[in-house]
Amino acid sequence: MIKLLNLFKKKIYFDQYLFISITILSIMGLLFLYSASQGNIETTIKQSFFVMFGLILMFLLSQLDPDFYKNNASIFFLLSIFLILITFFFGKEVNGAKRWLDLGFFTLQSSEIVKIALPIFLAAYLYDKALPISILHTFITIVTILIVVNLVRIQPDLGTSLVILLAGLYILFLAGLSWRFIGISLTIFILSLPFIWNNFLEPFQRQRVLTLLDPNADPYGSGWNIMQSKIAIGSGGIQGKGYGEGTQAHLDFLPETETDFIFSVVAEEFGFIGVCFLLITFFFIMFRCLYLALNARDRFCRLTIGGLSLLFISTVFINLAMVVGIIPVVGMPLPFISKGGSSLLSFYIAFGIIISMATHKKLMQK
Amino acid sequence: MTDLNERYQEKNNFFKRIALLYVFFGFLFFLFLYQTFTLQISSYTDYELASIENKTKEMLIQPKRGIIYDRNGEIIVNNVPSYSLITKPSQIGNIESHIEAIKVFIDISDDDAFHAKENYKRIAKLNRELTLKNNLTMEEIARFETRRHKFPNTFIDERYSRFTLYPELFSHSIGYVGNLNDDDLEQILHEQNLKPKETIFVYSNGYIRGMTGIENIYDKKLRGTYGKKVYEVDAAGKLLNEIEIIPSINGEDLYTSLDIESQKVAFDQLNNRRGAVVAVEIDTGSIVTYISSPSFPLNPIANGMSVTDFNKLLNDKDKPFFDRAGQGRYSPASTIKPAIGLFGIENEIIDWNFTINDPGFFILPEDNRVYRGWKKGGHGEINLKEAIIESSNTFFFSLAYESDIEQLVEHLSYFGFGRNVCIDCFLPDKGLLPNPEWKMNTLNFGWFKGDTVNLGVGQGYLSATPLQLAYYSAFLAKKGELNKFSFVQQDIDASVDTFISKNINNDDWKKLHESMIGVIDSPKGTAGRLRNLKDFTVAAKSGTVELVSTETKEDYKIIRETEGKRDHAIIIAFAPMPNPKYAVSVVIENGESGGSVAGPVAIEVLNTLLEND
Repeated sequence: MIKLLNLFKKKIYFDQYLFISITILSIMGLLFLYSASQGNIETTIKQSFFVMFGLILMFLLSQLDPDFYKNNASIFFLLSIFLILITFFFGKEVNGAKRWLDLGFFTLQSSEIVKIALPIFLAAYLYDKALPISILHTFITIVTILIVVNLVRIQPDLGTSLVILLAGLYILFLAGLSWRFIGISLTIFILSLPFIWNNFLEPFQRQRVLTLLDPNADPYGSGWNIMQSKIAIGSGGIQGKGYGEGTQAHLDFLPETETDFIFSVVAEEFGFIGVCFLLITFFFIMFRCLYLALNARDRFCRLTIGGLSLLFISTVFINLAMVVGIIPVVGMPLPFISKGGSSLLSFYIAFGIIISMATHKKLMQK
Repeated sequence: MTDLNERYQEKNNFFKRIALLYVFFGFLFFLFLYQTFTLQISSYTDYELASIENKTKEMLIQPKRGIIYDRNGEIIVNNVPSYSLITKPSQIGNIESHIEAIKVFIDISDDDAFHAKENYKRIAKLNRELTLKNNLTMEEIARFETRRHKFPNTFIDERYSRFTLYPELFSHSIGYVGNLNDDDLEQILHEQNLKPKETIFVYSNGYIRGMTGIENIYDKKLRGTYGKKVYEVDAAGKLLNEIEIIPSINGEDLYTSLDIESQKVAFDQLNNRRGAVVAVEIDTGSIVTYISSPSFPLNPIANGMSVTDFNKLLNDKDKPFFDRAGQGRYSPASTIKPAIGLFGIENEIIDWNFTINDPGFFILPEDNRVYRGWKKGGHGEINLKEAIIESSNTFFFSLAYESDIEQLVEHLSYFGFGRNVCIDCFLPDKGLLPNPEWKMNTLNFGWFKGDTVNLGVGQGYLSATPLQLAYYSAFLAKKGELNKFSFVQQDIDASVDTFISKNINNDDWKKLHESMIGVIDSPKGTAGRLRNLKDFTVAAKSGTVELVSTETKEDYKIIRETEGKRDHAIIIAFAPMPNPKYAVSVVIENGESGGSVAGPVAIEVLNTLLEND
């Protein structure tokens, strides 16, 4: 038996910790979604196909050697940019936003692909650059990031573009961006905040920030979502109202229960205990990724694991912080829980790559 | 080696940096956990309450008002169902086109349409219902039912109206109900620990309260208690299911002392002349008849009438809304004489044998002013009894002349003059019992002896309401002891007014009653014409209120060309003698003769009351 297992281990690349925790998270996600969608069995079944497909995809992607990703990073990246571009022409327009490509069996959110492709591309570009990263490489990296971010931003998809920006910056930072550069650009950024506020943010986005500062100012207008989310979470208490019993979720007080505000449904129905359980699962994944990053075989793997896991952590945090009212409302799904095939698949792909990077060891190290 | 060194340096650098980011995110997640903890544990009760408030909607249930009965248990005012066309303005965009669409098959009057348009915005904001038309006919109901799918926000509902079978008999005594304003509603609901909110109405005209009369005075008792219905609602405010119901408690029924039969008789007798009739049961002080004429129709006033009809009533020169019985001020005129006579006896100015010679006038010694009697040549040598029967002015002029004004005012106050004599009347007027202080303060003139002399025959500044005159009548009948008047017998014994005297005994009261019987029965009595009308022995005193002072009958003939300047006719009476049960007062404006005009009304009312006992 043990022999068989060892044989199995030798031939396949597999991290049982991540695999199990992600599977648990996915199954919890399906349960939550069933309740959050008002018991919509169709939505839940559709999502569970994505989950199954995603888990298989994750497993398959982790079998490939990191060198495959490193060597093909540019191709993947250009392909994802191409997807973004054709979205502008052939994309499906929903609520004034062109984010989706209709593939017949599946509508693909193209920004979710570039979200993964960009950090891998940057890691592949920076892994052999000397420390600290030179001004030229820093410049090229930042320009690349800004181009991608803006392509997504004008779809418009503020949430995803923000995450892509972060993912790119994480790689740059982890790769060894000089502290002097960080210091100077942070100063410039802070000084130009008023300028960004006035010129880059749409009025509704400004309103969201203001709403965050005082959600009670306009409880039936822009404050409605965050107000109802807080009521949902707060009224869950310690134990929650019980599965399927969330009145905020089921009587339509909560907006976007299946996507952005699914955590509020969880908090309302499972209370603080449920919130803690969910957080522990996320924490486990987070620290397992840290462990894997620290033990990766080379710099490219380190950077990729670090970048992708921080991308995952950022997405989780932005979603959670938004629904409890710490940061302004921005469209952001909760990974593995929220409805939405593209986002779901993008994280299975990310973790497939993470596992690949972590499990392929080189016997002959330089 | 440099390669290895560089590799080590790079790895070390990576470790530091990723650790830094993890610490940063660790801090952020702690912040998130703290916020969640605050929401779910520290502020749990607040948010739990907010979530309950979100999903529940409370609606008030209007109670039904109590029924008002007469003293024989006959219903005076009831709640009768009718069918109303009702719409929810909060769910209708344009009220004008909505009304136009309905007008095609149901006739909505211009008044109703105007009312709907006028109130549309306010009612929409409050999420209340708007009545488009009351009292639908069966045909109109059928016409709507076939088209109801076109009007999902409009429906027909059974609503009640406050309704009386005797539309003009009780307009001033029972009074009417009307719409409640928001402040009053808040006040009423506050007493029940409730707040104004959407209401399930029972009445076709929404929130109602008693505006006048008994409906107003006993509003709290009649009103009942609002109930509550709690629904679960979704975010759109759609009612999902009923969670809780606290039924409304209907108002208490009210058993009044009013007597429908005598009301009818009094109303018919007055026959739309301006005037009033008040009759009471002497033993209890309960009011059995209370009519002010002309009257107005109660049902349309309570349930809505057209603006034109309303203005017609409002501008009627006879002022039908004015409650003459409780608020009209009239000089008591000669009806005051029994009380003045009692004053003379109480203060030992005169006794029953005391006589004066009545030449037909009295000359005030101070200024030689002449005060005339009604009979040319006078009544000759007369005593108190004869002076009451024949209504000699000279006798009472000279008696008043001998009186101390302060004592006289105090004495008259016992009989109900100048004060409120009713426990539950609606805004009763106190009339005017003048004294020197009042005259100085109001008219800036000192009190003349002539003022006292005028008081002796009930003229001058003295005035009283028919209600007060009825009280005076009953007080005389019950020999100086009387319960305060009321429409509804209270559980606690009503306050009793007692005449405190040192010199008046039962014998004096008997003689007084005999004198008043003589007003009708004696050949010289001023109300002799009533002798054949009455079925019982009646004690009475008539009076004729001079509105314009005239020297001769010829002068008066000129005056009476203008109806408004003619004398008022007044009578007070009680029967059956010698043990009177009912006392009555009648005033007929510009009726000219107390005995022959007001008298028959009083007799008919007394006959009705006594025959039905």
